[in-house]
Amino acid sequence: MNCQRIQDSLLDFEAGALPAAEAEGVREHLKSCPDCQRRWADLQETLVTLDRLPQPAPSPRLRNNFYAMLESQMEAAGESGNPFHAPRPSEHWYSFLLPHRALVQAAAAVALFGVGIALGSRVWPPSDKTSGETAAQLAATRAELAQLRNQVDSVNQLVTYSLAQTQPAQARLQNVVATLGQKKTDEAELATLLGTLAFDPSTNVRLSALEALYAHADNTKVRQGVRAALPRESSPLVQVAMIDFLASVRDREAAPALEQLTRTPRTDEAVRTAAQRALAQI
Amino acid sequence: MVRSPDSIPVPSEIETSDHELMLAVRDGQVARLGELFERHHGPLYGFFVRLTGQRTLSEDLVQQVFYRILKYRHTYRDEGKFSAWMYHLGRRVAADHYRKHRTGETVDREEVNLEHIPDDAMDSGEQAEKNDDLALMQKAFAELPLDQREILTLHRFQHLPHSDIARLLDCSVGAAKVRLHRAVNALRDSYFRMRRHDGAR
Ligand SMILES: [Zn+2]
Repeated sequence: MNCQRIQDSLLDFEAGALPAAEAEGVREHLKSCPDCQRRWADLQETLVTLDRLPQPAPSPRLRNNFYAMLESQMEAAGESGNPFHAPRPSEHWYSFLLPHRALVQAAAAVALFGVGIALGSRVWPPSDKTSGETAAQLAATRAELAQLRNQVDSVNQLVTYSLAQTQPAQARLQNVVATLGQKKTDEAELATLLGTLAFDPSTNVRLSALEALYAHADNTKVRQGVRAALPRESSPLVQVAMIDFLASVRDREAAPALEQLTRTPRTDEAVRTAAQRALAQI
Repeated sequence: MVRSPDSIPVPSEIETSDHELMLAVRDGQVARLGELFERHHGPLYGFFVRLTGQRTLSEDLVQQVFYRILKYRHTYRDEGKFSAWMYHLGRRVAADHYRKHRTGETVDREEVNLEHIPDDAMDSGEQAEKNDDLALMQKAFAELPLDQREILTLHRFQHLPHSDIARLLDCSVGAAKVRLHRAVNALRDSYFRMRRHDGAR
């Protein structure tokens, strides 16, 4: 295949929409063609950055106006009755923060492609033109990945993140979301969830991943992964949820990390309280 | 009595599909439009903001779309697909707005400024790191022509399949893919050009 054809198919390749044989051809070509590698890296960076643009959220005015309009239309039509199903209570206190399924999917896409890039640059090292700053970031990402890899080493399924995806993007996302509350999950899926918990830029998605991991809290690898993610977690909200997770399974091995949190002066107050409570529990 | 639910409904295993909900609305259970609103008003609002760059206007446009859904509910087909229909109405609503205000399809790009929208989904530390790139991407995106912003939004943010996009834009699936390709390439070129000009790198 020539370079033009490869470059024309990169968008479908990225979406996982190429037939397996064609995708294999693209992968083979990318291994040996610096020009197309560059194109591929640029495309991925463009799409991942685009995906990370802030999601604008409407003001409460919109919802108020909508229900006022709906009510007046119903009155005009002579209808009545409360249309809403009672929301199903969820077992975790932060469940109200969990986004709708569609949003989880969208965010999980970002997560998967983001990690895909990190791994991609491992497989195909960036060209010499890469600036020092980017190289430093890459090195940091690699170190984090290596750390996570150790945590799930025997699971050794981080390869699920790799660019060598033959499944369409949509199907891969559905897999992540489908693991919510699922009891029987294979190790590859657990590794995906742990990777999401450790690397996803969205607080909501990390919480969703943790929610899904509850069903597997008895798995030592899962607890290891949560313990590893706890100190590097930047959101107090997610930290507290992680601490609750570890406390709920009375994970004795979490004690050093929890003690560390209670001692560090810059620990958020809610996190400190949660850590102290968890230490008493485990 | 209709009330706005206080919390976001938790997705359940046996979630009613959009299509089933819309058929129920069409067949007289008008109040169930509230469920469709809860599912779709956020993404639809995002669609309009990315198109128009104006937040208040975008809220009004969302409201008009749901009004039209109600008004034209009898035209919804048994074999229909709700989200595609909703975006179809959305494009009409936006076009009507611009026709009324005589600005054609030119969007006042001065108003496109999403940088100051607080983003709960990203932590401040990460945000600082990514800010430069995000700001440049925002700028590159905002400078694309309206039709390219639209197709990118439908594909990348609204996650509509190529077939739905083709139907919306009234073209073949192949043509939709070509247009999407051009839009992505234009965005990529513009983004990396801006990055090269951004002295810090
Ligand atoms: Zn090549």
